[in-house]
Amino acid sequence: MNPTVVILFLLIVGITLVITYFAAKKTNTASEFYTAGGGLSGWQNGLAISGDYLSAASFLGIAGAIALYGFDGFLFSIGYLVAYLVVLFIVAEPLRNLGKYTLADMINSRFDAKKVRAGAALSSLTIVIFYMIAQLVGAGALIQLLFNIPYWIAVLLVGIMMTIYVLFGGMTATSWVQIIKAVLLMAGTTIISFLVLAKFNFNILEMFTAMKTATPHGADFLNPGVKYKMPLDTLSLMIALVLGTAGLPHILMRFFTVRDAKTARSSVMWATWIVGIFYVMTIFLGFGAAAFVGQDLIVATNPAGNMAAPLLAQALGGDLLMSFVSAVAFATILAVVAGLVLSGASAFAHDIYGQIIKKGKATEKQQMNAARYASVGVAVFSIILALGAQTLNVAFLVSLAFCIAASANLPVIIYTIFWKKFNTAGALSSMITGLVSALILVSISPSVMNPVEGAAIITGNPIFPLTNPALLSVPLGFLGGWIGTMLTKEVDEAKFAEVKVKANTGGFRQL
Amino acid sequence: MVVVDKEKSGVREPSNVPDFALIERSVGFQQLMKKKKRFLVPSILLFLGLYILFPLIISYTDILNASFIGDISWSWVYALGLFVMTWTLVTVYMKKAAEFDRMAEETLKEFNYEEEKVQ
Repeated sequence: MNPTVVILFLLIVGITLVITYFAAKKTNTASEFYTAGGGLSGWQNGLAISGDYLSAASFLGIAGAIALYGFDGFLFSIGYLVAYLVVLFIVAEPLRNLGKYTLADMINSRFDAKKVRAGAALSSLTIVIFYMIAQLVGAGALIQLLFNIPYWIAVLLVGIMMTIYVLFGGMTATSWVQIIKAVLLMAGTTIISFLVLAKFNFNILEMFTAMKTATPHGADFLNPGVKYKMPLDTLSLMIALVLGTAGLPHILMRFFTVRDAKTARSSVMWATWIVGIFYVMTIFLGFGAAAFVGQDLIVATNPAGNMAAPLLAQALGGDLLMSFVSAVAFATILAVVAGLVLSGASAFAHDIYGQIIKKGKATEKQQMNAARYASVGVAVFSIILALGAQTLNVAFLVSLAFCIAASANLPVIIYTIFWKKFNTAGALSSMITGLVSALILVSISPSVMNPVEGAAIITGNPIFPLTNPALLSVPLGFLGGWIGTMLTKEVDEAKFAEVKVKANTGGFRQL
Repeated sequence: MVVVDKEKSGVREPSNVPDFALIERSVGFQQLMKKKKRFLVPSILLFLGLYILFPLIISYTDILNASFIGDISWSWVYALGLFVMTWTLVTVYMKKAAEFDRMAEETLKEFNYEEEKVQ
């Protein structure tokens, strides 16, 4: 481990702890804890959304996927970006206008039923835990490589940091960690992209031509089909990516940190530009890694390709750039897991404890205590799972989280805002159908069952052919909501009028 | 029923709950919904359509493998076109939304709604 890495690493730890110290002074109420008091500006929240969203799977995962599979790796970038149109056009503003801290608040603004709240909290928690395990296991493996420390210490380190941010600094600390991370990540990616382009004399055509001979895939590297050969599998993955973002609890939660729908909207605009520019640069990272590091070395260092970006930094900028990129990767992981802990805690402490058990009558102090206990609980639970999952192949959990979000959360959000006849039974059946079908289908899919021993969690032939079940589970989520609604026929048109007016005008939020 | 914290909102008594059905039926609000629908429905169909079409085209045909310029194929052009589409739609929406905001404000004013002091 070289001294620069250690210094940069300690610098990030130090700065984020200072932020947490100051944030802690401003974190005295539940509202401050969950939403930073709702006072973030559009660009701040836009950066924070980007910081929350661009996980190690985006930074290291996509760069690696493009380096190894060429065009097919870039499919993720497309899906992750276009998803923001779903967020902007359908979800962001009504969510801000109807909700308080969680997705369940928004759905319950129409139904006010404990079962519905419990359902929304359950699917949120499931998504958060899966996403978190993927992040922590990835982080452990990565930090192990970057800093040469044992896996369990790496997981504990990340786990302790995220717990400190959330426990003491709540949403304020989490937001600023995410903002700083977004800036660092954009800076790091821009520097590497610049260096890669310089190698090709800033000629994109020259770069593409060079890529035809840079990898064993030859000219196919630049065409679709190197990795994804089953059309329906590709389609299913793309559906999960584009519809999932709008149902991810830690992303949705960010919209409660701004004053009104207008600011929520402008934060999506900022996020779309930042995230989009980042994803364009993943091309340069991936191509650069394939050309200047080589697929053999990338795979030898990490079979999934996760080390492509740091290795590229090493090749282009030596130890200094490698250290910087490693530090950025570390900050990336911290920012994402902190957001996840916070959203998991809100589902548990606000929805289940505050609203269901205490019926919304918990005192400020009880709410704060619950939030803090829940944060520690979510953190400890996921750290334990991550420590146990070290040897399992859990990379698919990220796209599974997107799939559950698209199947269990998005249908109910859309029905709640737009469908007059939608009712309590429909809300419940939509969430349960989406959640259960996604879970069952993925557990019998090639992601979990693989005839090659050790390639997946279960050794055996997969029963369901698609690696990502969104193609089937998203329609099932919608269908479940429709059937549940039709079977019970209970309609509250007055309540729908209220939801419609509130969602579209932003008024009467206190009623 | 959500109870209004009088101390915090300071404006509205629970008995003053507006008639949402009346607002929902009002001309101004109906127009807002119509305008929103006229923009959002075609936009959503457009972007989801172009997006879903992409994996279908690249999975079932090779037509996008043809060269655009040099070794850059149409697949890359389509893919980056989706980026440009996203940024364009976001920019257009920001403009449109300013108009939606104005209409929403008018509706709220018409029904004597004053900004309640949140928190």
